[in-house]
Amino acid sequence: MDSLTNSEQQILADRIQKRQMKQFMGIFGNLVDSCFTSCVDDFQSKALSGRETGCLTRCVQKWMTTNERMGERFAELNAAEMERQQRAAGR
Amino acid sequence: MFGFGQPKLSSEEKIAAVENEIKVMTEMQTRMAKICSQKCIDSTYREGELSKGEASCLDRCSAKFFEAHTTISDQLQKEQAAKGGMMGR
Repeated sequence: MDSLTNSEQQILADRIQKRQMKQFMGIFGNLVDSCFTSCVDDFQSKALSGRETGCLTRCVQKWMTTNERMGERFAELNAAEMERQQRAAGR
Repeated sequence: MFGFGQPKLSSEEKIAAVENEIKVMTEMQTRMAKICSQKCIDSTYREGELSKGEASCLDRCSAKFFEAHTTISDQLQKEQAAKGGMMGR
């Protein structure tokens, strides 16, 4: 594949950033749904209990750490896979 | 990727191709994170930090996810080729 010129790379970077901004609301929504489902079960009260709030906090912390780790693993695995494909193609 | 003597791609086409590839990879990464979280993370959230067990599980899950992706992709190609091929390869 031809590599991109500097100005093309800039256009690409802008588009990626716009896309990420659009995606953020969706990702945020999924996080709320997921943590709420795991943490909140008691509807005797209309206010979150201390236990539930703590759970939500830890849920977000874990989600962040998990996402970071998955990003690292994905990059490694993807690089290995591309190399494998190139070696196979070069045969 | 675009060989076979096709005319050189325009600037817009090159950018769009890279953007699309990034989109595809990002989606795969998101799916992998979601599925491995479901399989590996204790959803009672008694702690905010990943335990060593959870961390190892995530690492192994992602490696297996990639391998499964390749296995399934290869199998699909085999099946399609045997049936005379959707892709004509």
